[in-house]
Amino acid sequence: MSSALARTGVPPGRAVSAQMVSMAVVIAVVGLFVLYPVFYLLQAAFDVGAPNVRPPTAYGLDNFSALGKYWEIMVNTLIVTFAATFMALVFGFLTAWILTRTNVPFQRTLEQLMAVPYYVTPLLGALAWNFLGAPESGFINQVWRGIGGDGALVDITTAMGIAWVMALFEGSVAFVMIGAVMKSMDPALEEASQVVGAGRWRTMLRVTLPLVAPGVLGAAIFVFAEMLGSFSAALVLGTPARFYVITTAIYQFVSQYPPRLPLAAALGVSLFAVMFAMLYLYRRVTANRSFVTISGKAFRPRTMDMGRLRWLLFAICAAYVFLSVALPIATLVYASVQKLAVALPSADNFTFDNYRTAFSLNAVRSALSNSLVLGLVTATVGVALTGMLAWIIQRSRLPGRGVLEYIVMFPQAVPRLVFAFGMMWAWLAFPVPIYGTFWILLIAYLTVFLPLGVRTISGVIMQLDKSLEECGQVCGASWGYRLRTIIAPLLRPGILAAWLLIFVASVRELGASILLMGPDSKVMTPAIAEAFFSTSSELTAAMALIQTVVVAIAMVLFTLITRKASRVGVGP
Amino acid sequence: MTTPRTDSPTAEIEVEDLVVRYGAVTAAGPVSFTVRQGEQLTLLGPSGCGKTTTLRAIAGLERPAAGAIRIGGETMYDEARGIHIPAERRGLSMVFQSYAIWPHMTVFENVAYGLRVRNAGAAEIDQKVRHALDLVKMGAYATRNASQLSGGQQQRVAVARACAFSPKVLLFDEPLSNLDAKLRAEMRIELRELQHRLGVTSVYVTHDLEEALAMSDRIIVMRGGHIEQAGPAADIYNYPRTAFVADFVGSANLISGRLRPDLARDGLVALEADGGNILYGDPHGRTPGPEPTMSVRTVHLQLRARSSGAAINEWPVQIRRAIFLGDLTQVHVDWGGRELVIRQTAAMPPAEGMIVYLSIDPAHCVLLEPGEALQVEPAPQQEVRPVLANLPTE
Repeated sequence: MSSALARTGVPPGRAVSAQMVSMAVVIAVVGLFVLYPVFYLLQAAFDVGAPNVRPPTAYGLDNFSALGKYWEIMVNTLIVTFAATFMALVFGFLTAWILTRTNVPFQRTLEQLMAVPYYVTPLLGALAWNFLGAPESGFINQVWRGIGGDGALVDITTAMGIAWVMALFEGSVAFVMIGAVMKSMDPALEEASQVVGAGRWRTMLRVTLPLVAPGVLGAAIFVFAEMLGSFSAALVLGTPARFYVITTAIYQFVSQYPPRLPLAAALGVSLFAVMFAMLYLYRRVTANRSFVTISGKAFRPRTMDMGRLRWLLFAICAAYVFLSVALPIATLVYASVQKLAVALPSADNFTFDNYRTAFSLNAVRSALSNSLVLGLVTATVGVALTGMLAWIIQRSRLPGRGVLEYIVMFPQAVPRLVFAFGMMWAWLAFPVPIYGTFWILLIAYLTVFLPLGVRTISGVIMQLDKSLEECGQVCGASWGYRLRTIIAPLLRPGILAAWLLIFVASVRELGASILLMGPDSKVMTPAIAEAFFSTSSELTAAMALIQTVVVAIAMVLFTLITRKASRVGVGP
Repeated sequence: MTTPRTDSPTAEIEVEDLVVRYGAVTAAGPVSFTVRQGEQLTLLGPSGCGKTTTLRAIAGLERPAAGAIRIGGETMYDEARGIHIPAERRGLSMVFQSYAIWPHMTVFENVAYGLRVRNAGAAEIDQKVRHALDLVKMGAYATRNASQLSGGQQQRVAVARACAFSPKVLLFDEPLSNLDAKLRAEMRIELRELQHRLGVTSVYVTHDLEEALAMSDRIIVMRGGHIEQAGPAADIYNYPRTAFVADFVGSANLISGRLRPDLARDGLVALEADGGNILYGDPHGRTPGPEPTMSVRTVHLQLRARSSGAAINEWPVQIRRAIFLGDLTQVHVDWGGRELVIRQTAAMPPAEGMIVYLSIDPAHCVLLEPGEALQVEPAPQQEVRPVLANLPTE
């Protein structure tokens, strides 16, 4: 930083130094948060010296070659990831095409509903589908045997079952990405094809598909990388049946006794190397888009008249929303009010005891309030931090801000569980004892949600005309004054959106929290996962629903407050 | 910080060997010029010529790579001495191409911003904001939300905001380019009057010739990051130095040929055009090369039905096309195998194919300085800057 200051050659002045100091602090904090754990992760992965001696006495590749014994885990991971990516893309492509390019009925309502699966987490989905599709106790299989079937009709604890649950959740992400590409396509490109005499299907094959192909490829790579690092569905559905993917294997290596930390680190580094490569590829694919489909002009994409077929298309979209949202929630509600979850209701099986127990559990009560407080603090500190970062990356002249962008986006390429492993290792060595406290959870959340916050706020900054800020500067306003009077008010929508996203993501965080929470710093989502393994699944269902309702209430409250504030808040 | 004035005692802005680079690309420079106190200077040129970059460097919004900038005698930037005063402490003001009206403030708050930054008292703010808004005839809109204004109104508010805190220097970055043609013509006059009333030193950037001629005491024509010609508006128009200036600044016929020193007379230079016609022109103190080019404004050529009997610069020509343009008629004639364009207001609508007499006053045949081959980039009609632009366009 001091070199940057020297290079701009600015004589010491109050305004400039305030800016420089703030930027230096933010960059130092981010560098520490992101790179320090990664360093320790790498160190652990290459540590082949005496166990439990730090710093390592010898380095080598032994941990990686030892992974060969676990080839089955790699194969499992690849099968689950490929299957889940394929299904998610099918869901995403179909729904995106139906909702942007056809005259499907209730198009706007469906489009809003498509975002909901994202808020129904894979953990919730996995718990619900476990009730539905477990080979013995699953409702579907109970009914199947009830009508005379034999064995299990479906088995959700297999690779395909896990992939199915992951795909239901991630399909909504694929929809958003592919839908954006389809929406931004200039209909003139297709009309031009028809004008020269090509038919509808020929146009679709020769013009439409090639045009959206890069966007779909980008979505495929992105979804694949996300699936590689996903954790909760495989944890809930796979672990009881001893079916492991890389992330759950890492968790197993870390939490078993004795832990096999170097092996876990090597597995984590391998995973993150692949994800990093995928995300790099994703950036290349989306950045070098030679197909300029986005022309900045406003247009409505042309929709095809599907005739009666449009009700079938409607049914497809509705089925997706039903399978990913309505059915899981209904299943959890249904299971949570039963003593023993069975497919057919009966009066003497009905109970509210699960809720009573859930609320009386001290662990749940403290975990829930801990989660909410942590979410509030993470979101508030997070928007300040990511807002500054987004501004530095988008608007400052700081040398090396490209590198900063890579560092900030780095956590995106590291599964949260792997990142938490690095943090665990790193902060154990840190002179200030924060391991096992809320502080480490706060730092973990702030770090893993950096990309989320920076991306959200950057999106708003990029839409702001740069001269709005420059004009304030020419009018004589210092950096701090501009920040207060121009930048912050104009960024308000982005900051609020980022706040809400970070809050919701923090409250529901599992991968990082499960490794980092201590006995006195329990948070909700890992508590739910633990309850699944140690108590009844009916109680777990109640807990998961309580969390979902609390998050929903928090979101509604936030929306109401900010809407009211924006109505009242006029003036500087 | 104060350094002794190095140039004329009335120089308000001094730009010395300024170079601005974006990465490896040199966007402007080296350029040097001065703006006198109270003078209205225009930087004129096609897009990409470095005019906006130069303006932004004066404002302090770009960090130049070399050179020096002094404003009011104070060094604002000097690469050699490591001085770079940030824009907020240069004490000047600027009107942006996109107006940059803050949508979250009222008109009053927009205009009051510069005064609030300077910790002015409430009474002073009120009085100065009202005065500034009255200057641009927006007094009635003070309480309006800035997001409710039309383009022309936003433009006026932007001007009021720029003048409200009485800066010594006003910078204009193509402020009229986003207005429609009629409003642009109106605002041109208003801005000119405003500048005169305030007596403020100003630098104005535009790619529009009429705007440049109307707004400025002096024009600097830029091309490819360099100054092509600088001088009073009339000089730039009447005595273009190069083919580029002649063509960019208004429409001109450029006639090249062989120098015929043997035919020179009365201090005039004689040029034998490719078709064999001999054209006499005024060298304006310039030394002709062996193959000189002369520039003749299209409005300076005259068509007559009959010969005037002049000994030089008169030829019978055939009319190829006559195009009615409203205020003017544009006539294309065949002149020794090449085409010349004449714009005239004459009531006589020449019939195509007709033979008429073309004459040119030698004083209007301007000898251009020898230079590189003519390669004129077309002047854009309207430059629209994308909202998302991260890098300056010039």
